[in-house]
Amino acid sequence: MIGYAMAITKASAGVPAVPAAEAIMAPELSWAGLILLLPLLSLILCGLCAAAKVTSKLPAVITATALAGAFVTSVFLYLNYQPPGDVIPLLDWMNISWGDGQFESFSANFALYIDSLSLLWIMFVTGLGTLITIYASEYMEPDLGKGYSRFFAGVSVFLFAMAALVLSDNLLMLYLGWEGVGFASYWLIGYYYQRPAAVAAAKKAFIVNRIGDLGLALAVYLIWTTFGTVQYDELMTVLEDGDYRAAFEGWTVSAIPFLLMLAAFGKSAQLPLYVWLPDAMEGPTPVSALIHAATMVTAGIYLVARTYPLFLLEPVSLHVVAWVGGLTALLAATIGMAQYDIKRIMAYSTVSQLGYMFLGLGVLTTYGAAYHVFTHAFFKAVLFLTCGAIMHGFAGQLDLRHLSGLRHMRGWRITAWTMFIGCLCLAGFPFTSGYFSKDAILAEAFVTQGPGFEILGWIAIFTAGLTAYYTFRVWFRVCAGPVAYEPGDELHGEDDHGGEFHPHAPRLAINGVLVLIALGALVAAVPYFMSNTADEHLAGGWVADMVHDSTAREGIPGFHGDAHAGHGDAHPTIFGADPHVAMYWISGTVGMIGLLFAAWLHLWRRSQADAIKAWLLHRAWIGWLPRAMERKWYVDEVYHALIRAPLWILGHILYAFDRFIIDGLLVDSVARIPRGVARCLQPLQSGAVQAMAIVMVGGAAIILLLMALFMQFGWFGGQA
Amino acid sequence: MLSVLLMVVPLAGAIVIMLAPARAARGIAMIATLAGAGIAVAAATNFDGWGTGGWGLEFQSELLPTLGITLTLGADSVSLMLILLTALLMPLAVLGSWTAVTTRLREYYGWMLVLSTAMIGVFLARDLLVFYICFEFTLVPMYFLIAIYGSGNRAWASLKFFIYTFLGSLIALAGLLYVVWQHAAVAGAWSFSIPELAAFASTGLTSVEQAWILLALMAGFAVKIPLFPVHTWLPLAHTEAPTAGSVLLAGVLLKLGTYGLYRFVLPMVPAAVVEWAPLIAVLSIIGILYAALICWVQTDVKKLVAYSSVSHLGFCVLGLVALNPLGLQGSVLYMINHGLSTGALFFLIGMMYERYHTRDMGQVGGLASKMPVWSCFMVFFVLASVGLPGLNGFVSEFLCLIGTFAAGGSGAYPGVLGPWLAAIAAIGMIFAAMYLLIMVGKIVFGTLREPPGHASDMPSDLNFREIVVLVPLAIGCILLGVQPDLAIHAMEGAVADTLSAYPDVVTGVLNSVSPQGATP
Repeated sequence: MIGYAMAITKASAGVPAVPAAEAIMAPELSWAGLILLLPLLSLILCGLCAAAKVTSKLPAVITATALAGAFVTSVFLYLNYQPPGDVIPLLDWMNISWGDGQFESFSANFALYIDSLSLLWIMFVTGLGTLITIYASEYMEPDLGKGYSRFFAGVSVFLFAMAALVLSDNLLMLYLGWEGVGFASYWLIGYYYQRPAAVAAAKKAFIVNRIGDLGLALAVYLIWTTFGTVQYDELMTVLEDGDYRAAFEGWTVSAIPFLLMLAAFGKSAQLPLYVWLPDAMEGPTPVSALIHAATMVTAGIYLVARTYPLFLLEPVSLHVVAWVGGLTALLAATIGMAQYDIKRIMAYSTVSQLGYMFLGLGVLTTYGAAYHVFTHAFFKAVLFLTCGAIMHGFAGQLDLRHLSGLRHMRGWRITAWTMFIGCLCLAGFPFTSGYFSKDAILAEAFVTQGPGFEILGWIAIFTAGLTAYYTFRVWFRVCAGPVAYEPGDELHGEDDHGGEFHPHAPRLAINGVLVLIALGALVAAVPYFMSNTADEHLAGGWVADMVHDSTAREGIPGFHGDAHAGHGDAHPTIFGADPHVAMYWISGTVGMIGLLFAAWLHLWRRSQADAIKAWLLHRAWIGWLPRAMERKWYVDEVYHALIRAPLWILGHILYAFDRFIIDGLLVDSVARIPRGVARCLQPLQSGAVQAMAIVMVGGAAIILLLMALFMQFGWFGGQA
Repeated sequence: MLSVLLMVVPLAGAIVIMLAPARAARGIAMIATLAGAGIAVAAATNFDGWGTGGWGLEFQSELLPTLGITLTLGADSVSLMLILLTALLMPLAVLGSWTAVTTRLREYYGWMLVLSTAMIGVFLARDLLVFYICFEFTLVPMYFLIAIYGSGNRAWASLKFFIYTFLGSLIALAGLLYVVWQHAAVAGAWSFSIPELAAFASTGLTSVEQAWILLALMAGFAVKIPLFPVHTWLPLAHTEAPTAGSVLLAGVLLKLGTYGLYRFVLPMVPAAVVEWAPLIAVLSIIGILYAALICWVQTDVKKLVAYSSVSHLGFCVLGLVALNPLGLQGSVLYMINHGLSTGALFFLIGMMYERYHTRDMGQVGGLASKMPVWSCFMVFFVLASVGLPGLNGFVSEFLCLIGTFAAGGSGAYPGVLGPWLAAIAAIGMIFAAMYLLIMVGKIVFGTLREPPGHASDMPSDLNFREIVVLVPLAIGCILLGVQPDLAIHAMEGAVADTLSAYPDVVTGVLNSVSPQGATP
């Protein structure tokens, strides 16, 4: 793995860089470029479909085929993969050099870095991408011939950018993917561009993400000025050698993880930058499932895992990650409990689960975070897709107060039961995939030593209870109970049979995908039991194995004695038991309690729920709580009052300042002086521009004269 | 010889237009500008200074040898890139005005061609007289283009544009003449040759003199760029100018200022630049953020884009005063990229204006459903402008900022800026996303809003001619976004030459300041 770009010398300027001969590349891996190329091709073809006003499902077929191709390629790569991975150059991008030293060139190229971490990510991204595209082919039917091509073009852009993000071999190409997925997200959230809410949500997503992107950009600058490279393999070499300069008195090394963190919190919707994600639900549901649940929002986790060694240089940064993650998990869960829109509940649940993943990263289990990313991708996708099926069938109805008893309705059984599987996993029901992946994180919170990590662990356990409650609140309300429903406000003609509303049940494409992904969510528990090939002393199965070959390996429990203070000899215990074992019992029990609460309030005694809520609202000492939860803890309002409004007012003030002070007072009054003079010289005023020529010569002469005088007296400080 | 042709062909076109009937004017202009573009491309392919710091396209004729007055033309890779930009924008500007201009056609196209000659002359000039004459002469055609073909407040806008930039450049001329004078005193003969003067000034003048000359030159170039706080002519001129005028103003005329910094200020007065770079950088950063916030509250879409130029050019100047290859290459790229993307935005706004006769975002909006093709282009060029990676704007913005960031006190190219300035400037990235996406949100997305009783004989969406205007710019944006190496490698040598004196000067200044502290 020789950084090929280093081979570019000044002499070869202008000549495309040639990969250094030493860069040994497994021939099988050279197919990796297809993963980027296929979505790009699909984008172009969808664009052509839009231009040709295609009215068939051709764009969906194209996109699904391309993505399936990308998925097959990534599986192929996985099968042919040999540690420790490889760099595959594709195309030159930016290469500037002015010397041969470590800090005398900047290069970032389109090149892929194939290791097991990127393979883990790209496999579920392309796999779920393919399935969700198939789902969308049916879901987007009402827009056939209208926005259909535009939608699938957006999906293609997303997959391209996501692949670039995950597979890049340097931080700049990652940045390209990073902003690219943000743009795809903007495109797809704003898909219904005639709806003001959708346009506003799209804009908000892009701008809030840009705040995070600023962090990433600054981190890239800092990493380059500190380490002299932005390529992962070179970066790791420099880190291992300790051969980096302590630029700017060494503070940069500590600042880097905080900036990367800002980027990750923006993309993965953590406090305080999570506000865009719930609004992003304005996009079509397949988009919510793919981008805002399963894949894009996990990019922040990926970034931290990928740059984990930089975080380990500054332990405080990981403590911050853990606390932000834990608090976000709790906060989002409380908001999710109080919402009525099932898609928004899922959105807050995503924020909350992402919080768990960051907690995992913070308490030194990259494996736990990665495993939770993996299982979450499946079960959250299926939950969103079932919400989408319901929304699609009930004319946009998403309010859980107006839907009930779906599991008894003809054609809705698959939806109801696949949703049930998703709910079980999300709630962490024993022996489902979510149960194992969540426990991997929870236990480490008690094992790893850090400021208040034990409190954080209990917060996370409490949140697990809340999660089980709000998850099954949705299922018991919507799928269980007596059959009752009202249509939403997006009535299509086809649903309207003589004034009476008939929901139309999902057909093959939607049902098939739901079943497949639900199965995937169940099967995602299996990797937990698979044995490790890389290092048999490690726990954690296949996912830990995948993390092991990457830069994130320091975060696998048991990888280093020293990375986990206390692991081994002085293993902390919970109630006298090993945390890993204790957690099976504790989280299982807490989850069951949450589930039973949900069953009580939303299945058996639905009226009780309203009564309790009314009782709470009328008690001054506690009434603020449900209100604040429903209003999302007023974070949007705080943003508006503290950032948006002051800046907007400042903009107006500056504009007035620009017109009246700078332009009006200063510029125009200076201009008035010669005008006053010119009034005495009437002839000059007549033909303004002709006169300018005279003034030009005359003015120059006057200035020259002045200069001669100046020089005579040596006022320039020159000769004299 | 090609260099003379580059300047003469448009001028000849202008003369032919004056003699020919009015209805032939735009055809002749089209032919002349296309010929100009062809010559520029030929010049670029024959140029052998790409990558190295060499000069090409040289032409010299002695006019008054005793007074040192010669006509010397030539180009290095940086000037040639800007010439290419100018020559390629010209036919698009003519094509873009095809139906927008209906009166006094001969004057319109005549002035456009004269403007082209003057702009290319600035980039080709290797002696001071050619440079100054062309630099000033760009004002006259632009004055008439705004004053005759502009909208609303055109008389005031054109006059302000003229006088403001004219006064600034007069002071710059004085500074340059001072250098000529001093040089003549030392060398014993008059010379106006730019390289000679630069070599003399950079070593032969005291730092106090250099500072004065820097001030004089900045008076001319900062107004042109425009740098905060001497920018107020720009929003007015841009808003009132006809479409092609705005395109050339943003695309090329503003770059005359940054090019002036690159060609004169950096080589001539290095000691003063090192001393004053932090101040210039601070002004650029104020400009970036200040103009961006102002953009946010605009309702006139053309004024918004005009203010955004003030903000964007701040990055460009920042890259220049970073005094390292990253910043300087980013800055030159920025000149080209801004010409492409902002030029295209002005074209697009012009196309909207031709249909709705308003630029008020309160009156017109939600055009995606009515003009899908226009909307696609609009979103594309906004993204290029916002700096989406993969498109051109990102590369130059990134290089300018990382150059500023790395402009600390060590390394092969020590600088006098640093991470804090870069970090503050980078906030401009967020602001740019805010105002541009809000603009897109209003005029492209949302429900369709059209001004009452608008009438236009234009088709509702873009016609073939308009698409032909935009496509080359879009291709340029993608090409320079994906393969910036083409331009980066091409200018490597030239940039290194420009910076050659700096490492020593910066080290000298840093060493003289730090041990003794501030001595009065």
